[in-house]
Amino acid sequence: MYKGILFFLIACLGFTDAISDPGAGYNLSEEKGLYAKIADVPLNTGSGNIRLPELYQQTPVMLAFIFTRCTGICNPFLLHLKDNLESLGSKEKFKVLVVSFDPADSLSDLNKLAYRFGLQDNDQWIFATTPQISKLVNSAGFYPVWDSSRQQFDHDALLVGIDKEGLITKKLIGLRDVKSLNWMIRSIHDEFMLSYPLPRENMLFSCFSYDPVTGKKSPSFGLLFLVLPAILTIMLLVWFAYQSPKWRLKSAQEIPPAKN
Amino acid sequence: MASLSLKKVSSAWIITILTLFICAIVFGILMRLNQGNDIKLSPNGFYTLMTTHGLTMIGIWTVAGMVGIQYLLSRYTTVSAKLNVFALVLTIIGVIMLWISTFVGNFHTGWTFLYPFPFYIAWAKWATPLFLWSLAVLGIGWFVWSVGILVEILKKYSLKQAFAWQHLSKKDPEVTTPPFILIATVSLVGIILCLITAVILLILFFAEYYSNGSFKNDPLLMKNLTYFFGHTLANEALYLGVALLYELLPEVSGRPKFKMTWYIALAWNFTMIFVLTAFFHHMYMDFVQPLGFQMVGQLASYFASIPAAAVSALSVIFLVYGNKIKWSLTNILFFIGVIGWMIGGIGAVIDATISNNIVLHNTLWVPAHFHTYNAMGNVLFCLAFFWWVANEFAGSQETTKSHKITIGLMLIGGFGFVLMFYIAGAASVPRRFAFYPNELQIGMTTATWAAFFATLYLIAMLAIIWEIVRKCIRVFYSS
Ligand code: HEM
Repeated sequence: MYKGILFFLIACLGFTDAISDPGAGYNLSEEKGLYAKIADVPLNTGSGNIRLPELYQQTPVMLAFIFTRCTGICNPFLLHLKDNLESLGSKEKFKVLVVSFDPADSLSDLNKLAYRFGLQDNDQWIFATTPQISKLVNSAGFYPVWDSSRQQFDHDALLVGIDKEGLITKKLIGLRDVKSLNWMIRSIHDEFMLSYPLPRENMLFSCFSYDPVTGKKSPSFGLLFLVLPAILTIMLLVWFAYQSPKWRLKSAQEIPPAKN
Repeated sequence: MASLSLKKVSSAWIITILTLFICAIVFGILMRLNQGNDIKLSPNGFYTLMTTHGLTMIGIWTVAGMVGIQYLLSRYTTVSAKLNVFALVLTIIGVIMLWISTFVGNFHTGWTFLYPFPFYIAWAKWATPLFLWSLAVLGIGWFVWSVGILVEILKKYSLKQAFAWQHLSKKDPEVTTPPFILIATVSLVGIILCLITAVILLILFFAEYYSNGSFKNDPLLMKNLTYFFGHTLANEALYLGVALLYELLPEVSGRPKFKMTWYIALAWNFTMIFVLTAFFHHMYMDFVQPLGFQMVGQLASYFASIPAAAVSALSVIFLVYGNKIKWSLTNILFFIGVIGWMIGGIGAVIDATISNNIVLHNTLWVPAHFHTYNAMGNVLFCLAFFWWVANEFAGSQETTKSHKITIGLMLIGGFGFVLMFYIAGAASVPRRFAFYPNELQIGMTTATWAAFFATLYLIAMLAIIWEIVRKCIRVFYSS
């Protein structure tokens, strides 16, 4: 049994080490760069050339970055996004803009991709390339890295929510559920979004612990600090209750007795 | 009877408090002029004034009540002037440290120094630790002082008697507890609890500051602790003032003293409990806090204000109504103070109601209500005591000299000043804005008017304070 516990501890330590080493990870964050303006870039789309602001000024936009030769996450990402949006059936107006960050992609590559997903005739979806892709990805805080040995980009799945003023209101990293998409739709329509930082590294005492998987909150150690002052004061008063008869005896000569 | 040393140290306290009060009012007027676009302060300059003003005001009007309590306690038990001197010395050191951190170091987080602001260094680096240490010095001084005063009460009354519990079970108990003793005990227990909370809060701040990032605090926990301490302290300070009123108002009005009854005992014991949980109304916007806490916040806000305020207001009305009263500046100040307390209390209950708070949260309605029960409530209770005690020091009778102009200026100035906050708050003008954008024209207009009214209030205060200080100084020459 002890071997099991030891193994578990070592595994935990290794795991926390891996996730807490800032150098080991990768810099994409959903919190960074919010409320910054997305770059004004020209877009080549199936229905002609437009600038990005012309799009978001009409309706808010969800911007997805992909590349057509991707053997990794891009296809599942798009499929998941399409399925989730369909099942959500939101009545809100917005566009989904799919932009390739691979300069080797042409508009016809993107049209083919749209066809593969059955989205070629869907007005809500726009597939586009841009000659200023680095300006666009930089403004979104998205940094794909070319891996020449695999002939692939090393990248994550990023969906960027842009409101009608061109401000990035929300970012979603990875394949996300319908609930997260719903948040994004609300945020690009400038609805007030509740957010609170999760307990961070080195935070020993938090009021509540939160399980992101179940969404459940439970009271945590930090709450004790809220009752501690009351406990200490009561202890002080109880101590006084025991001690004060002595003080009263001592001071009986000095002060007049309590009035009857 | 107050000893000469107690008189001298109380006198030193009064002069210190009133000097700081005048400075803090001037800071307030400068802030309103800036918000009205009549003068130009840098944003940092505004927030430095706001932080210093808020902390100084809360601090001085808390200790003002303690000075009064300890002085009047000498009627019932032996009190230690040395304890008073100790608290005065630490308070002066603490205030000097605090003002250096704000005026020299430019520290400007607002009086609540809400985590993590003190660590976002937008001022001299040394100002953050100096500010936190200044609070530690003040906190230690006041903690020892309030525990000391409680011990003084317990030299004469048992704990049960101090809380007047014997009045809950018997109509005519063997020992009666004066309302002054009950309210002082309840408020001191609350203050001790606040100061313990402040110590925990400061320890957590220091732990993060000195651990160089290896220990981090939870913002939600820190916010809970901050308001537990800050909101409760502001309320308990007011109750100290109310204790002074219960002791002095009937006496100076030529009426029999207030008698302890079961309902006064019950009201104040309940107030002690409810006021400790009312701070949850500061956390309505913190949606991660369980719904139960938010409900406790709303209900406790109602229950905390109703018993104490209602019982006290009724007691004062019965004292005055239909009776021949010997009016003097002391009881006029007490009387207006009760009105200010009631108006501010109603403003607070409106804001503490969740459905209203959605609209009023962090608008100027918040400073509106707390300025009403402070500037036109607690300040007047304490000033009434200062006026009364200054006359006692000087051995002079309360003059029948008319103070009509002073009182008129104070009423117009004080209520006019807070009315501007209410109007702007109801129009959703946010609080803590150094200047308002053009869209908030009403914020600017009301700020300019508020500066005018506050100046009238300042003139009235100067007139009263001048006489108080002159009389207080005389104690130092007596032997
Ligand atoms: C005529 C006298 C006074 C004037 C002119 C004045 C003025 C002001 C102003 C302009 C603000 C900033 C409001 C905002 O925009 O948020 C303020 C805040 C404040 N005042 Fe006063 N005030 C006066 C009296 C008092 C009194 C008597 C107290 C307390 C006993 C007090 C306590 C505070 C506190 C705690 C704050 C909040 C500071 C912060 O937000 O950090 N003030 N006052």
